[in-house]
Amino acid sequence: MKNLIRYVVTRALLTIPMLLILLTIVFVVVRVMPGDPVSSMLGGHAPQSVIDQKKEELGLNRPLIVQYGDYLMQICRLDFGESMILHQKVLDAIGDKIPATIELTFFGMIITLLVGVPLGAYAADKRRSAQDYAIRLYGIVIYCIPVYWLGLMLQMIFGVWMDILPVAGRTGARVFVSTFEKTGFYTLDTLLVRDFEAFADVMLHLVLPSVTLGLVLSGIFIRLTRANMLDVLKSDYILAAEARGIRHRRVVYKHAILNAFVPILTMMGLQVALLMAGAVLTESTFSWPGMGRLLLERIYLRDYPTIQGIIVIFALIVAFVSLIVDIIYALVDPRVRY
Amino acid sequence: MKYSPTSAMGQLIGRMTGMGRKYGVEWWILVIGAVIIAAIIIMALLAPWLAPYSPHDQATGPQLAPPSGRHWLGTDNLQRDVLSRIIYGSRTILGVAILAALLSSTIGITMGLISGYTGGFMDKSLSLVMDSVYSFPGLILAIAFAAMLEPGVISITIAVAVIYIPTYFRLVRGQTLSIKEELYVEAARAIGAPGKVILWKYIFPNVIATTVVVFTMNVGDAIMIEAALTYLGLGLPPSVVDWGMDLAMGKKFLPSGQWWLITFPGGMISLLALGFTMLGEGLAEILNPRLLER
Amino acid sequence: MKSFRWLLVGVLILAMVCATTDVMAKKKTVLVYGTTEKVTDMDPANAYDFHTWEIFYNIYQGLMGYPPGKTNLVPALAESYTISKDGKAYTFKLKKGLKFSDGTPFDAKAVKWSLDRVIRLKGDPSWLVTDFVDHVEVVDKYTVRYVLKNPCAYFPSLVATVPYYPVNPNVYPADKIIKDPAELKGGKLVGLGPYQAVSFKRDEEIILDVNPYYKGPKPKNDRVVIRYFADATTMRLALEKGELDFAFKTFNPSDIVDLQKSKKLITIKGQGPYIRYICFQCQKPPFDDKVVRKAIAAAIDRKEIIRKVFLGQNEPLYSMVPKGMWTHEDSFLTEIGDGNVKLCKKLLASRGYNAKNKLKFELWYTPSHYGDTEVDMAAVIKRQLEATGVIQVTVKSAEWATYKQNWRDKLMNVFLLGWYPDYIDPDNYTAAFAGTAGSAGNGIFFSNKQWDAMFVEAQKNPDQNKRAAIYKKIQKMWTDEVPTVPIFQGTLYLFTQKNIRGVMISPTLQFIYAPIEKVK
Repeated sequence: MKNLIRYVVTRALLTIPMLLILLTIVFVVVRVMPGDPVSSMLGGHAPQSVIDQKKEELGLNRPLIVQYGDYLMQICRLDFGESMILHQKVLDAIGDKIPATIELTFFGMIITLLVGVPLGAYAADKRRSAQDYAIRLYGIVIYCIPVYWLGLMLQMIFGVWMDILPVAGRTGARVFVSTFEKTGFYTLDTLLVRDFEAFADVMLHLVLPSVTLGLVLSGIFIRLTRANMLDVLKSDYILAAEARGIRHRRVVYKHAILNAFVPILTMMGLQVALLMAGAVLTESTFSWPGMGRLLLERIYLRDYPTIQGIIVIFALIVAFVSLIVDIIYALVDPRVRY
Repeated sequence: MKYSPTSAMGQLIGRMTGMGRKYGVEWWILVIGAVIIAAIIIMALLAPWLAPYSPHDQATGPQLAPPSGRHWLGTDNLQRDVLSRIIYGSRTILGVAILAALLSSTIGITMGLISGYTGGFMDKSLSLVMDSVYSFPGLILAIAFAAMLEPGVISITIAVAVIYIPTYFRLVRGQTLSIKEELYVEAARAIGAPGKVILWKYIFPNVIATTVVVFTMNVGDAIMIEAALTYLGLGLPPSVVDWGMDLAMGKKFLPSGQWWLITFPGGMISLLALGFTMLGEGLAEILNPRLLER
Repeated sequence: MKSFRWLLVGVLILAMVCATTDVMAKKKTVLVYGTTEKVTDMDPANAYDFHTWEIFYNIYQGLMGYPPGKTNLVPALAESYTISKDGKAYTFKLKKGLKFSDGTPFDAKAVKWSLDRVIRLKGDPSWLVTDFVDHVEVVDKYTVRYVLKNPCAYFPSLVATVPYYPVNPNVYPADKIIKDPAELKGGKLVGLGPYQAVSFKRDEEIILDVNPYYKGPKPKNDRVVIRYFADATTMRLALEKGELDFAFKTFNPSDIVDLQKSKKLITIKGQGPYIRYICFQCQKPPFDDKVVRKAIAAAIDRKEIIRKVFLGQNEPLYSMVPKGMWTHEDSFLTEIGDGNVKLCKKLLASRGYNAKNKLKFELWYTPSHYGDTEVDMAAVIKRQLEATGVIQVTVKSAEWATYKQNWRDKLMNVFLLGWYPDYIDPDNYTAAFAGTAGSAGNGIFFSNKQWDAMFVEAQKNPDQNKRAAIYKKIQKMWTDEVPTVPIFQGTLYLFTQKNIRGVMISPTLQFIYAPIEKVK
């Protein structure tokens, strides 16, 4: 137990230099970008003196190294500063948008698991059969379809031609967000106020984006599940279970899948970067008001603090998830030395 | 035996099926991937002869015409021919993706070799940097880079290349570390071979084999990143013909029924990425079946 | 299991009953309005975009205003005004007995306080005040006097802009710009206009209810919900499904084509005040030469741009002063013409450019600020210029922040810009581009003493006819000097459901919600 705690602490400490490096890269990249937020927010009428004054207020005229130091200090205090475009705390702006991203990725992940794990397990069970190859081919093909194009095609088919699903956004125009919003997770909020009509509307709006995101990631999960299942199916206790006469289906889809699940879950942690990238593109296609859209909008406006804040949050999520994954792995797999 | 196309063809098919029997379905996956890539590369090379119109010609026919005999893939609102734009667009995406993969592999492999061989503080800090970048969502980093640079083919190539350097670095460094301990390297060192010679003569050839597979898959990924950036409106000026940009332009016609403006550019991106992924997948299964299952 | 199913059915029935009784209980008229615009700061001292101003038009009032759908200026919170002899002082008599929602009386002090606040906070639109007003005097409780720096013939139209709107001194902080209504004392956005904001959720929705303290005629609806869309496609589909009662700004050209054909919708079309044009950096060779600028103007075919890029929407524009504004002249059409390749070649030949020695330059555009039609427009203009055979164009782009920086740094020689007027007067369409100060602010750097003198004269002269004569002359001179090339004038499209009445839009972009109603 003591060892475990020590492992967790060292592992957590290791993420600090990692974050520091990312923060530095982000700072450099963002500050080298041509254009600055002052020109972006002021009209053409502003005289040079006003521009200089604004720059001074925002601290943009100080040496880069000083700005960098300030920026690091701020982040240590978990203060991301204020947006240069809107007079708004960056953390507030992100806080407004992050529930949308989490909701989307959560439901996307559910779709991925629902599609990926059973298909992967089935493929492993029927190894080298026609079904196996068909499933693996599906995995390869779906991996190669750009998420935004899949989104557009689904929008065109289900939203426009068949007209059975809403095309974009989080709610319909007649469902007023202010009547239920509390946490920002609309599925939860609508249930909390028992507005089932709004809940149905929110769920309907989630279908296309989460299916798009989920399907694209399902290819990877088929591969992961299949590989892990192959390992598990070869193991002694599965053979023993079969020998004892437990039905094959039960062995494969209950015992084996449960055993393969921990590695699958940890692999899921490793895919979090891919999930984030997919979410950014999905949000852009489905006008989903999340972090990805916010990032793109603010890049156009050169809103340094917000861009930095968003990327830092993404980095924190990635670091946090991989930390959790490593810890779970250490807990479950005794071979991990700590 | 006299040469004849039919017998040559027969021989080829015979040999292919022979390989197919030996390696199974993986072989056919490889072949299909290679055929897709070859077809698109030929299309890119022969663009001026294959394309019925110039991709910039704004008077090829009626505005927003659906696919027909005269315009196989229809026309857009500027009366440009979609097929011609698809054919010319293949040049951009192929060029950028392959160039980016070459750039990142060259840098990544060199750094990985040197870092792994030298070891010490530099190796540790370099690994930390690379690991940090590797763990971060590549697309988001590429977006930041593309926004930073002035729109252009070179810029987008750099933006795509940067995010794949750690992939090669980690792979090569790991292998260098283990090969370094091999007996024959020890022996070379014992007879006083200089570090440069050991690195390039003994270690490099052993490392390069595995990177081939990664390279192929990498081009497939780079295609999707390139297209994603241009779809988001980053990275390229409009005078360049590009699938991702055409898809972004077609997006606004989604509810108006001009499906050909969305379907074809996006379909081509998928097809090209699929070609490289299938080739990589086939190679991986045949060369090293365990590589991808990890 | 079975009991569970019955429970479910019961819950569903209950929910439906609740829903119907709910509908029966409120007979309120709720209008749902869709837009792709964005609100910025909910503060007259810092808001500087038409959508935020539109909300202020409905929540607040100015001393002067426009009747819904009209362009004639009338007193609103003021009863009348007088101008001093030298034209440098405007004295307004205010309406009596008006109160803010918390009981604070509306008087000259509130007007002065609000304007002083705008001057002090130096927000984005503050130049609309500080460039003109020297100071404000409280004459008596209901009389206020603006003392100007220079005589200004169109000052009443400036008073109709949002920075001049009086706000409640007890609610707005004196030294801080407000972003969200939540930062206000009382947390609610309410002024002297017909509506108050009861819910404010940025980028999602704003709910406006009728302001019970409003003294004017009661609005014909009870609630307006503004829904914000991230893209035009979604907004169009919501409108077609009947989820929106009306939608305004900005549809894709292809959507407008389809929606106009729809039998379920009413199209309301209006001339917009919005213009698009090509700018030259008039100090850098070869564009310091007016002949080269004129040659480029000659090669532009406006009708083709409109047909290809905007699918036939918008109007070709042949002067910087748009159609519908007094003194408008089609000078570029009469003097130069559309797509006049012959003239272009002739002019360039006189400067030594021909098929072998082409005029080469970069044409700049910005890809997202003016919507995604901009790429197409750049492509069509490039092709039109190159079709002359004597010009070679490289198209370059930069995002808005960079774009602005570029024009300040004089990095762009030929670039595309657009203009929404700050106030409705020809001055804002001419001096802003060709006056020495205004043109530098827009990256044009055109400077001509004769022109500057004419602008000053037109600004000062209270005689409308003399002003018109000056602007007519300037429009003619524009085709010779060509500091900018007008391309098109935006047409406004608003779509409503069949049962909506009372929607009026005008070139002033003052979209008033109060007269809008639902009929059976």
